[in-house]
Amino acid sequence: MRYWLRVYRVHLRVAWALMMQYRFSTLIWAVWGFVGPLISLAVWTAATQARGSGVSGNGQRFDQADFAAYFLVFMIFGHLTMSWDAFEFAYRVRTGSLSPQLLRPLHPIHADASFNVGFKALTTALLLPAWLVLFVVLHPAPPPSYANVALAAPALVLAGITRYIWQYALAAIAFWTTRVDAINQLYYVLDSFLAGRIAPIALMPLWLGLLARYTPFYGMGAFPVEIALGRVSLPAAALGLISQMFWLAAGIVVFRLVWAAGVKQYSAVGA
Amino acid sequence: MSDALVSLDGLCKTYRVHERKAGFGSSVASLFRRQYKDVRAVRDVTFQVRAGEMVGFLGPNGAGKTTTLKMLSGLLNPTSGEAKVLGFTPWRRQHEFLRQISLVMGNRNQLNWDIPAMDSFLVNQVIYDIPQEQFRSTLDELVQLLDLGALLTKPVRNLSLGERMKCELAAALLHRPRVLFLDEPTLGVDVTMQGRIRRFVSEYNRLTGATVLLTSHYMADVTALCRRVIVIHHGSLLYDGSLSALGERILPHKLIRADLESAAPADELAIYGDVTDLDGQKVTLRVPRALTAVAVGRLLAERSVVDLTVEDPPIEEVIDLVFEGETAAITGPDRAE
Repeated sequence: MRYWLRVYRVHLRVAWALMMQYRFSTLIWAVWGFVGPLISLAVWTAATQARGSGVSGNGQRFDQADFAAYFLVFMIFGHLTMSWDAFEFAYRVRTGSLSPQLLRPLHPIHADASFNVGFKALTTALLLPAWLVLFVVLHPAPPPSYANVALAAPALVLAGITRYIWQYALAAIAFWTTRVDAINQLYYVLDSFLAGRIAPIALMPLWLGLLARYTPFYGMGAFPVEIALGRVSLPAAALGLISQMFWLAAGIVVFRLVWAAGVKQYSAVGA
Repeated sequence: MSDALVSLDGLCKTYRVHERKAGFGSSVASLFRRQYKDVRAVRDVTFQVRAGEMVGFLGPNGAGKTTTLKMLSGLLNPTSGEAKVLGFTPWRRQHEFLRQISLVMGNRNQLNWDIPAMDSFLVNQVIYDIPQEQFRSTLDELVQLLDLGALLTKPVRNLSLGERMKCELAAALLHRPRVLFLDEPTLGVDVTMQGRIRRFVSEYNRLTGATVLLTSHYMADVTALCRRVIVIHHGSLLYDGSLSALGERILPHKLIRADLESAAPADELAIYGDVTDLDGQKVTLRVPRALTAVAVGRLLAERSVVDLTVEDPPIEEVIDLVFEGETAAITGPDRAE
């Protein structure tokens, strides 16, 4: 355990050193993560204003303040669970810069996960003031209660780890095709819809909502947000957590299989 | 060779490469009917390396040297064949194996480009679980041997190629690997730095008893460090034995360079051997190895000689001949060593 703490600590230090080195780029990426939910919020606000009333679907109703609450929480939760490794990893496989990492007695996922955590810790701290300003200006209703946020915490952690594992499994496809970016882009579009990033799942057509709930996307996105906003009953939350754990376990199995087969394919291009 | 630390048995690596003719038509056709070609990068290579040996791995570009080193370090899975390094199958990449080896590639860096080398060293200390005392003493030793002092605090991207290579070597050796694979470690660095890296590798081998397998296009690296060489061409092993024996087999003659007191025509000097070069009083003669002593004796007895040296042909000439396909002469008992 102490070994792993030291591994993550030393990689966090390097991650922060790199982020300080490229502070402007770090900030831009952080803002990029925040802008998505903000655009969705603007669209839905315009829609509710045009209708003059809220939007209902599958037993749930969202008015302007509900949308504000949903997307403001999604802004933070989405940022805390985001993962971009598939893009980075494909580059490393393509250029052969993965080779030195494979020669170390440490799986590359640990260095990358440390970087991911370091990025989120730093950028969340940087963006929090802007988020608080939006919170005050947009009057989200109901604002998330402490109790609900505490309840959402385990779901949020599971969402982050699950998303990370599935992204890394996807990244490992780069062992077969060096142009994995197209697959990543498809995944990103699916994720945007099915995780509830563009619209709350309840407002989606029934079939799309079901698809979201029976895939890992809902658990990796909207589920912790809905818990924090008190939109999920306790039994449904418990069921959701079980579903998250299932998808995490499935992700670990898929990742291990893909990785094991992938490294056998690795041709260490140019390295 | 029972005490072999590195052993390969019939190791093969075949890459499947997509190929098509140039032009739009063939690119469309390749959508429907992709054609592949099997490129046999390494073919049935077998050899062993003992603990503490330094072995030069020679071959032209595309010979299969780097592919072999990548398989031995666990980066690549072979198509067939077996290999053991320190008793481990490399491509299983067990952590216990990876803790005891290093692969240094002259064209690839493991150091993080944007931060000082020392930060990467500290990461390696944690990853390889090197105790603080051992880390400090190894680092001090490496700093002294490689003269790294001023380089450790500069971002790696600000270092010259030679400086970067020295830091790469240090990073690769902090955990004191028992087996060191060096792939073109002096690539692109100047002559002075090449010499320094050679001395360092030799010293590291002497101090730690590490086994070193080295590839280089610079024959000076190989002649300075390795008594034994393995020659590989088109993926196949051509020769495994001592460097001097390779020269003897490929070029069974020696060169006599003499500085005569007075100039003489080439046809007069030809009685001592083949005149390969004549420049005033300086002459270079090529004589069969077995007749070298006789030729030198006659020359000294019959001519006024100011200076005389007897040399083996340059190893570059030997290697050129091997790679040009004149390989029949080197397939002998050493091949099976």
